[in-house]
Amino acid sequence: MMENEIRADGTICDLNYLSEMLGARKPLIKGIMDTFLEQIPVELSSMNEAIATTDYQSVKRYAHSMKSSVSILGITLLSPVLSEMESLGLAGTNMERIKELNVTLHWVCKEAMAELEAVKGDYI
Amino acid sequence: MKNMIDIFIVEDNKILSQTLKADIETTFAQKDVRIHLFESGGECIERFSKEKPPIVILDYHLDSKKAGAMDGIKVLDKLKKENSDVDVIMLTSEDNIAIAIKSFHHGASDYIVKSETQYKKINNSLFHLIKMREAKREAKRYKRLAVSFFLCISLIVVSIVVMQVFAPFLLR
Repeated sequence: MMENEIRADGTICDLNYLSEMLGARKPLIKGIMDTFLEQIPVELSSMNEAIATTDYQSVKRYAHSMKSSVSILGITLLSPVLSEMESLGLAGTNMERIKELNVTLHWVCKEAMAELEAVKGDYI
Repeated sequence: MKNMIDIFIVEDNKILSQTLKADIETTFAQKDVRIHLFESGGECIERFSKEKPPIVILDYHLDSKKAGAMDGIKVLDKLKKENSDVDVIMLTSEDNIAIAIKSFHHGASDYIVKSETQYKKINNSLFHLIKMREAKREAKRYKRLAVSFFLCISLIVVSIVVMQVFAPFLLR
Protein backbone atom coordinates (compact mmCIF):
# COMPACT_ATOMS: atom_id res chain seq x y z
CA MET A 1 0.00 0.00 0.00
CA MET A 2 2.36 2.70 1.22
CA GLU A 3 5.20 1.41 -0.93
CA ASN A 4 3.56 3.19 -3.86
CA GLU A 5 3.66 6.51 -2.02
CA ILE A 6 7.26 6.76 -0.96
CA ARG A 7 9.44 9.48 -2.50
CA ALA A 8 10.89 9.19 -5.98
CA ASP A 9 14.37 8.54 -4.56
CA GLY A 10 12.99 5.67 -2.48
CA THR A 11 13.19 7.48 0.84
CA ILE A 12 10.46 8.35 3.32
CA CYS A 13 12.10 11.29 5.08
CA ASP A 14 12.81 14.53 3.28
CA LEU A 15 15.62 16.27 5.14
CA ASN A 16 15.89 19.15 2.67
CA TYR A 17 13.61 21.31 4.78
CA LEU A 18 15.81 20.92 7.87
CA SER A 19 19.00 21.33 5.84
CA GLU A 20 17.72 24.53 4.23
CA MET A 21 16.62 25.88 7.59
CA LEU A 22 19.78 25.09 9.52
CA GLY A 23 22.33 25.28 6.73
CA ALA A 24 25.68 23.78 7.52
CA ARG A 25 24.95 23.28 11.21
CA LYS A 26 24.85 19.51 10.92
CA PRO A 27 25.08 18.71 14.66
CA LEU A 28 21.80 20.57 15.17
CA ILE A 29 20.15 18.38 12.52
CA LYS A 30 21.59 15.28 14.18
CA GLY A 31 20.24 16.48 17.54
CA ILE A 32 16.75 16.77 16.04
CA MET A 33 17.08 13.28 14.50
CA ASP A 34 18.12 11.86 17.89
CA THR A 35 15.13 13.49 19.57
CA PHE A 36 12.85 12.06 16.87
CA LEU A 37 14.31 8.57 17.33
CA GLU A 38 13.80 8.89 21.07
CA GLN A 39 10.33 10.46 21.02
CA ILE A 40 8.53 8.56 18.24
CA PRO A 41 8.59 5.09 19.93
CA VAL A 42 7.09 6.68 23.05
CA GLU A 43 4.37 8.36 20.98
CA LEU A 44 3.61 5.13 19.11
CA SER A 45 3.34 3.25 22.35
CA SER A 46 1.02 5.93 23.78
CA MET A 47 -1.11 5.67 20.64
CA ASN A 48 -1.35 1.87 21.02
CA GLU A 49 -2.45 2.31 24.60
CA ALA A 50 -5.09 4.89 23.64
CA ILE A 51 -6.45 2.51 20.97
CA ALA A 52 -6.41 -0.47 23.35
CA THR A 53 -8.49 1.49 25.87
CA THR A 54 -10.76 3.03 23.17
CA ASP A 55 -9.71 6.46 24.35
CA TYR A 56 -10.68 8.66 21.38
CA GLN A 57 -9.62 11.85 23.09
CA SER A 58 -6.06 10.58 23.51
CA VAL A 59 -5.99 9.25 19.93
CA LYS A 60 -6.80 12.80 18.81
CA ARG A 61 -4.15 14.35 21.09
CA TYR A 62 -1.34 11.99 20.08
CA ALA A 63 -2.19 12.17 16.35
CA HIS A 64 -2.14 15.94 16.59
CA SER A 65 1.23 15.99 18.34
CA MET A 66 2.77 13.49 15.91
CA LYS A 67 1.67 15.57 12.92
CA SER A 68 4.10 18.32 13.96
CA SER A 69 6.89 15.81 14.66
CA VAL A 70 6.71 14.01 11.32
CA SER A 71 6.36 17.18 9.26
CA ILE A 72 9.74 18.46 10.55
CA LEU A 73 11.45 15.36 9.18
CA GLY A 74 9.51 15.72 5.92
CA ILE A 75 7.53 12.47 6.30
CA THR A 76 4.72 13.86 4.20
CA LEU A 77 2.99 10.56 3.53
CA LEU A 78 1.98 10.41 7.19
CA SER A 79 0.17 13.76 7.13
CA PRO A 80 -3.13 12.40 5.70
CA VAL A 81 -2.91 9.33 7.98
CA LEU A 82 -2.50 11.41 11.13
CA SER A 83 -5.08 13.97 10.01
CA GLU A 84 -7.64 11.19 9.58
CA MET A 85 -6.76 9.67 12.96
CA GLU A 86 -7.13 13.09 14.57
CA SER A 87 -10.51 13.67 12.91
CA LEU A 88 -11.81 10.25 13.92
CA GLY A 89 -10.51 10.79 17.46
CA LEU A 90 -12.28 14.14 17.60
CA ALA A 91 -15.50 12.59 16.28
CA GLY A 92 -15.10 9.71 18.73
CA THR A 93 -16.00 7.13 16.13
CA ASN A 94 -14.75 4.25 13.93
CA MET A 95 -12.07 2.62 16.06
CA GLU A 96 -11.65 -0.08 13.41
CA ARG A 97 -10.47 2.52 10.87
CA ILE A 98 -8.19 4.06 13.50
CA LYS A 99 -6.63 0.62 14.04
CA GLU A 100 -6.01 0.26 10.28
CA LEU A 101 -4.40 3.69 10.14
CA ASN A 102 -2.31 2.82 13.19
CA VAL A 103 -0.79 -0.14 11.31
CA THR A 104 0.25 2.23 8.51
CA LEU A 105 1.56 4.73 11.05
CA HIS A 106 3.76 2.09 12.69
CA TRP A 107 5.06 0.79 9.37
CA VAL A 108 6.03 4.24 8.09
CA CYS A 109 7.58 5.29 11.40
CA LYS A 110 9.63 2.10 11.55
CA GLU A 111 10.93 2.70 8.01
CA ALA A 112 11.62 6.37 8.75
CA MET A 113 13.54 5.51 11.93
CA ALA A 114 15.68 2.95 10.08
CA GLU A 115 16.38 5.57 7.42
CA LEU A 116 17.41 8.18 10.01
CA GLU A 117 19.61 5.70 11.88
CA ALA A 118 21.39 5.00 8.58
CA VAL A 119 22.04 8.64 7.66
CA LYS A 120 22.55 10.34 11.00
CA GLY A 121 26.26 9.48 10.94
CA ASP A 122 26.60 11.94 8.03
CA TYR A 123 25.49 14.78 10.29
CA ILE A 124 28.29 14.82 12.83
CA MET B 1 26.07 39.37 29.93
CA LYS B 2 24.48 42.81 29.64
CA ASN B 3 22.71 42.54 26.27
CA MET B 4 21.92 38.83 26.42
CA ILE B 5 18.35 38.14 25.29
CA ASP B 6 16.80 35.21 27.14
CA ILE B 7 13.92 33.52 25.34
CA PHE B 8 11.78 30.84 26.95
CA ILE B 9 10.08 28.25 24.72
CA VAL B 10 7.24 26.31 26.33
CA GLU B 11 6.27 23.41 24.08
CA ASP B 12 5.51 19.81 25.02
CA ASN B 13 6.68 18.41 21.68
CA LYS B 14 10.46 18.11 22.05
CA ILE B 15 11.09 17.68 18.31
CA LEU B 16 9.28 20.92 17.60
CA SER B 17 10.88 22.90 20.42
CA GLN B 18 14.36 21.69 19.54
CA THR B 19 13.86 22.60 15.87
CA LEU B 20 12.57 26.01 16.87
CA LYS B 21 15.55 26.55 19.18
CA ALA B 22 18.01 25.59 16.43
CA ASP B 23 16.26 27.84 13.91
CA ILE B 24 16.20 30.89 16.22
CA GLU B 25 19.86 30.39 17.14
CA THR B 26 20.75 30.21 13.44
CA THR B 27 18.64 33.23 12.46
CA PHE B 28 19.80 35.40 15.35
CA ALA B 29 23.41 34.20 15.33
CA GLN B 30 24.62 37.83 15.41
CA LYS B 31 22.74 38.56 18.63
CA ASP B 32 23.36 37.17 22.08
CA VAL B 33 20.28 35.00 22.24
CA ARG B 34 19.94 32.29 24.87
CA ILE B 35 17.07 29.82 24.51
CA HIS B 36 15.59 27.87 27.42
CA LEU B 37 13.26 24.95 26.69
CA PHE B 38 10.39 23.82 28.92
CA GLU B 39 7.93 21.00 28.39
CA SER B 40 5.31 22.29 30.79
CA GLY B 41 3.89 25.57 32.03
CA GLY B 42 4.79 24.67 35.60
CA GLU B 43 8.51 24.30 34.80
CA CYS B 44 8.48 27.61 32.93
CA ILE B 45 6.75 29.54 35.71
CA GLU B 46 9.19 28.15 38.25
CA ARG B 47 12.17 29.56 36.31
CA PHE B 48 10.43 32.69 35.07
CA SER B 49 10.78 34.79 38.22
CA LYS B 50 14.47 33.87 38.51
CA GLU B 51 15.59 34.43 34.90
CA LYS B 52 13.14 37.24 34.00
CA PRO B 53 13.17 36.58 30.23
CA PRO B 54 11.83 39.44 28.08
CA ILE B 55 10.25 37.03 25.56
CA VAL B 56 8.34 33.77 25.92
CA ILE B 57 7.11 31.55 23.06
CA LEU B 58 4.20 29.61 24.47
CA ASP B 59 2.22 26.70 23.03
CA TYR B 60 -1.52 27.17 23.45
CA HIS B 61 -2.15 23.42 23.78
CA LEU B 62 0.22 22.17 26.43
CA ASP B 63 -1.81 19.05 27.05
CA SER B 64 -1.05 17.10 23.86
CA LYS B 65 0.93 14.54 25.85
CA LYS B 66 -0.43 14.93 29.32
CA ALA B 67 -4.18 15.31 29.76
CA GLY B 68 -5.07 17.96 32.30
CA ALA B 69 -1.77 19.86 31.98
CA MET B 70 -1.96 23.62 32.53
CA ASP B 71 -3.09 25.21 29.24
CA GLY B 72 -1.34 28.08 27.50
CA ILE B 73 -3.80 30.79 28.58
CA LYS B 74 -3.38 29.91 32.27
CA VAL B 75 0.41 30.04 31.85
CA LEU B 76 0.10 33.36 29.99
CA ASP B 77 -1.95 34.83 32.86
CA LYS B 78 0.63 33.76 35.43
CA LEU B 79 3.55 35.15 33.39
CA LYS B 80 1.81 38.48 32.85
CA LYS B 81 0.96 38.67 36.56
CA GLU B 82 4.62 38.10 37.43
CA ASN B 83 5.90 40.60 34.83
CA SER B 84 3.44 42.65 32.77
CA ASP B 85 6.29 43.77 30.49
CA VAL B 86 7.05 40.29 29.13
CA ASP B 87 6.26 39.68 25.43
CA VAL B 88 4.49 36.38 24.86
CA ILE B 89 4.12 34.82 21.40
CA MET B 90 1.31 32.28 21.43
CA LEU B 91 1.69 29.23 19.20
CA THR B 92 -1.33 27.22 18.22
CA SER B 93 -2.20 24.50 15.76
CA GLU B 94 -5.68 25.92 15.20
CA ASP B 95 -6.35 28.86 12.92
CA ASN B 96 -9.16 29.98 15.18
CA ILE B 97 -10.05 33.65 15.51
CA ALA B 98 -11.66 33.07 18.93
CA ILE B 99 -8.37 31.67 20.30
CA ALA B 100 -6.45 34.57 18.73
CA ILE B 101 -8.75 37.17 20.34
CA LYS B 102 -8.62 35.35 23.67
CA SER B 103 -4.80 35.28 23.55
CA PHE B 104 -4.55 39.01 22.79
CA HIS B 105 -7.17 39.76 25.44
CA HIS B 106 -4.98 37.98 27.99
CA GLY B 107 -1.95 40.03 26.96
CA ALA B 108 -0.19 38.04 24.23
CA SER B 109 2.01 40.14 21.92
CA ASP B 110 1.54 37.88 18.91
CA TYR B 111 -0.36 34.80 17.78
CA ILE B 112 1.13 32.32 15.31
CA VAL B 113 -0.56 29.29 13.77
CA LYS B 114 1.66 26.22 13.45
CA SER B 115 2.19 25.59 9.75
CA GLU B 116 4.99 25.11 7.25
CA THR B 117 5.83 28.80 7.53
CA GLN B 118 5.72 28.94 11.32
CA TYR B 119 9.49 29.31 11.78
CA LYS B 120 9.66 32.29 9.43
CA LYS B 121 6.69 33.90 11.18
CA ILE B 122 8.16 33.31 14.62
CA ASN B 123 11.49 34.79 13.56
CA ASN B 124 9.73 37.84 12.08
CA SER B 125 7.80 38.30 15.28
CA LEU B 126 10.97 37.93 17.37
CA PHE B 127 12.80 40.39 15.12
CA HIS B 128 10.10 43.03 15.67
CA LEU B 129 9.87 42.42 19.41
CA ILE B 130 13.65 42.66 19.81
CA LYS B 131 13.73 45.86 17.70
CA MET B 132 10.95 47.37 19.83
CA ARG B 133 12.83 46.53 23.00
CA GLU B 134 16.04 48.03 21.64
CA ALA B 135 14.16 51.18 20.62
CA LYS B 136 12.62 51.46 24.09
CA ARG B 137 16.04 51.00 25.68
CA GLU B 138 17.52 53.72 23.44
CA ALA B 139 14.64 56.07 24.24
CA LYS B 140 15.24 55.53 27.96
CA ARG B 141 18.95 56.23 27.47
CA TYR B 142 18.26 59.50 25.61
CA LYS B 143 15.76 60.50 28.28
CA ARG B 144 18.41 59.94 30.96
CA LEU B 145 20.96 61.94 28.93
CA ALA B 146 18.50 64.80 28.43
CA VAL B 147 17.68 64.91 32.16
CA SER B 148 21.39 64.88 33.06
CA PHE B 149 22.09 67.68 30.58
CA PHE B 150 19.22 69.77 31.95
CA LEU B 151 20.45 69.22 35.53
CA CYS B 152 23.99 70.31 34.59
CA ILE B 153 22.73 73.50 32.89
CA SER B 154 20.46 74.24 35.89
CA LEU B 155 23.38 73.73 38.26
CA ILE B 156 25.58 76.13 36.26
CA VAL B 157 22.83 78.78 36.13
CA VAL B 158 22.13 78.46 39.86
CA SER B 159 25.87 78.68 40.61
CA ILE B 160 26.17 81.87 38.53
CA VAL B 161 23.14 83.43 40.26
CA VAL B 162 24.47 82.51 43.72
CA MET B 163 27.87 83.96 42.89
CA GLN B 164 26.24 87.09 41.47
CA VAL B 165 24.38 87.59 44.76
CA PHE B 166 26.95 86.57 47.35
CA ALA B 167 30.33 87.00 45.65
CA PRO B 168 29.93 89.26 42.61
CA PHE B 169 33.64 90.05 42.62
CA LEU B 170 34.37 86.50 41.47
CA LEU B 171 32.59 87.13 38.18
CA ARG B 172 34.47 90.34 37.38
